[in-house]
Amino acid sequence: MQKICRPLCAMLLAAASALLPNFATPAGAAAVPTLPDIKHVFVIVLENKSYADTFGTSTQDPYLQKTLVPMGGLLTQYYGTGHVSLDNYISMISGQAPTPDTTNDCLPGLTGSIGNYNDVAKTGVTDDGFHQVIATGGCIYPSTTKTVADLLTESGYSWRGYMEDMGNDPAREGATCGHPLIGIGTDITNTAEAPSAEVPLGDAYATRHNPFMYFHSIINHPSCTVNVVNLNQLTTDLARIRTTPNFVFITPNLCDDGHDGKGTGAPGTLCANGQPGGLTSADAFLQRVVPQILASPAYKKDGLLIITFDESNYTESVTVNPSSGQETVDIIFSGAVCCNQKPGPNLAGVRPGTINLLNTPSLVENIVDNGYGGDQIGAVLLSKYIRPGKQSSIPYNHYSMLRTIEDLFGLRHLGYSADNISAGYFPGNFALDKNVFK
Amino acid sequence: MKRKAAALGVIALLLIGGTRYRPLSPEAALGRGIFFDASLSASGRLSCATCHSPAHAYGPPNGRAVQLGGPGLDRQGLRAVPSLRYVLNRTPVWSKTYIANPAERILEGDEPPTGGFGWDGRFNTLHDQAAFPLLAPNEMANAGISGIAAKLQRAPYAAAFRQVFGARVFDDPTVAFAKARLALERFELEDPSFHPYTSKYDAYLDGQTKLSTQELRGLALFDDPKRGNCATCHTDRKGVDGSHPLFTDYQFEVLAVPRNPEIAANQAPGSYDLGLCGPLRTDQAGEKKYCGMFKTPSLRNVAIRGAFFHNGRFHTLKDALRFYVQRDTDPRLWYPVSASGAVETFDDLPPSLRANADVIDQPLTHHQGEAPVWSDADIDDVIAFLRTLTDRDAEAASPALGVDPPAR
Repeated sequence: MQKICRPLCAMLLAAASALLPNFATPAGAAAVPTLPDIKHVFVIVLENKSYADTFGTSTQDPYLQKTLVPMGGLLTQYYGTGHVSLDNYISMISGQAPTPDTTNDCLPGLTGSIGNYNDVAKTGVTDDGFHQVIATGGCIYPSTTKTVADLLTESGYSWRGYMEDMGNDPAREGATCGHPLIGIGTDITNTAEAPSAEVPLGDAYATRHNPFMYFHSIINHPSCTVNVVNLNQLTTDLARIRTTPNFVFITPNLCDDGHDGKGTGAPGTLCANGQPGGLTSADAFLQRVVPQILASPAYKKDGLLIITFDESNYTESVTVNPSSGQETVDIIFSGAVCCNQKPGPNLAGVRPGTINLLNTPSLVENIVDNGYGGDQIGAVLLSKYIRPGKQSSIPYNHYSMLRTIEDLFGLRHLGYSADNISAGYFPGNFALDKNVFK
Repeated sequence: MKRKAAALGVIALLLIGGTRYRPLSPEAALGRGIFFDASLSASGRLSCATCHSPAHAYGPPNGRAVQLGGPGLDRQGLRAVPSLRYVLNRTPVWSKTYIANPAERILEGDEPPTGGFGWDGRFNTLHDQAAFPLLAPNEMANAGISGIAAKLQRAPYAAAFRQVFGARVFDDPTVAFAKARLALERFELEDPSFHPYTSKYDAYLDGQTKLSTQELRGLALFDDPKRGNCATCHTDRKGVDGSHPLFTDYQFEVLAVPRNPEIAANQAPGSYDLGLCGPLRTDQAGEKKYCGMFKTPSLRNVAIRGAFFHNGRFHTLKDALRFYVQRDTDPRLWYPVSASGAVETFDDLPPSLRANADVIDQPLTHHQGEAPVWSDADIDDVIAFLRTLTDRDAEAASPALGVDPPAR
């Protein structure tokens, strides 16, 4: 992927010398792109699917492929920023690259030394203009590390995170600002809970898919209980412009975001709540939620809906030692990046890397990360400012999405959403991309 | 009072033992009568409460590995009777989550099957579960639904049954049987006696008492992921809402508990109780990796039990805990040894399925000759902690089973 990005980055740099964002300009369009007047941004993040599946071979997401893509603009070269989940979500709202723990969902005992729902062990901040937190590990950033939510609040804009299932089981997490107790062992929200008499809908909320919970600047503030709420609140909030936050971040539950389940409905491939999961449930979720958003007064006035995924899928390699019969299963992530993405200060010896999870005489299981990126996932944009059915092949990633949101609201650039033109780094702002925007 | 409240649609609250409870619904109140009704069994001497004794935290009242039932109360059940306390409201339906991404599947743990009622999780609801003991030949041994309905119709609570479910509820035995099971379910879900939260550990969690030095040592050993690692499955921390832990995650596990010669069915060579993959449960028979899996029970009130694990193989907590930490370091203590000196480890699994036994999770990762993660003194400390999980009303049951109640 670096090879794909390199000529584009060179083009970006050339354009940047003229102090212009350097996106492809269709023939006959205005030479100087201007930002659309978008003041309501809706983001829906789904899970773990490759671009080639989601927007290509899969038959499980007809609504996304055949309804939403023709209605919107498709960013074909949109990339995740890491593997596995959490580091992507954190990059989306803060521009921070992973710690050795967040890069593996804060699961203890893998590449990080802290893990679980514990504070980031900060040792410094980079002085390269990207203000990356240097950390030996940990997961919850100190109050000094800001997010787009903080900047929006400072600038008088509203925001809310809408989390499906959050608080269904109040013993697991609260119905607002829901997260595990800090420093108390395993994060049990890593596992979906099936329905019971006490929790009839089950609870498939996963803290690691809710980026707001990893910043003390948010969870320490009383407004967290107002701003990070159950998805059930969305319908009410969409009713009027004044009740619709300027920034809406939606995380479906572990089934509806495609994380769990295979999508086929076959026994043994289901979610904890019995639904098929995979792109099938993700597509059903979109069919349920997207029309509500598109019908809302705020969206109609000045809205932009971004639908993307956190990271791509994997490839699997199985080899058998002919003499011993030992089978080796490698789950391989390419870890490709775009946009000259940087690894950040904390991944030395972690990415690329191989994690051995099992080593028995009969079976070896490894996770192989050949890079530090999140691979190609794609994104769909819907707005009255979008040229329906158009595509852009300009590379973007989650840092680009953050920069786009920051620019739309006139905010400063956080972390790797900032640029350093002289160093060849520009994450992109797709709201300036005239391939898809009017 | 209850009927009046129900009739008025008033949600009144009762104060029982310092905790506020809603009054039982009419269905639940009827279910209480059914739960204690021995006339519903073929023997006329066996009710739900006989094996699930309220005085023993709704667990067995004796130390038998399995309980006796049938028309003559002389037929063994197949599995140890579990306590009904605490878990019923929160037992999730049986599920096996499929995580699509294999890396996350491996990283986050390939979720084992979870939930369902019974050691093999084969019932998703209590009203489904209730049919089994009523009809099982070695339990309440009713020949069929009609017979049960006829007994219900003769019961002292028959009039109340009609009042709750309709004057013609006995016209169809199938309907009467279904309503009786519904009533049992409501009783088990609603009655506060199923979740009193009166143990010393509950008081400790609420800051109302302190654990002794020995009990705290035991708690630390229980929690230590590198040694006992008990709390990984037998969860012992408060929920984020302050709710008290239930000491189970409802997940399935292959502990490879030794075959129990006390169970007559085990005299037959080649006959195995494989839990999740059968033979009682049939829908997962093809999943060989599930063979030997049994659901993790709650450890609340475990110290008043006289039979441990699904087959009641051990009768003291000390033996049960020693098995955990010495299963692999000294297998001769637990499994048959042949004349040649070979140890038949995991002998209650067919040889072809013995690889299913958990050798990945602490403390089951060790090898013969290694030191166990706990000494005998450590085990005594853990037992001291486990005794703090006994509810106040069950403490009287402890001496009868030869164990001491916790020091208050």
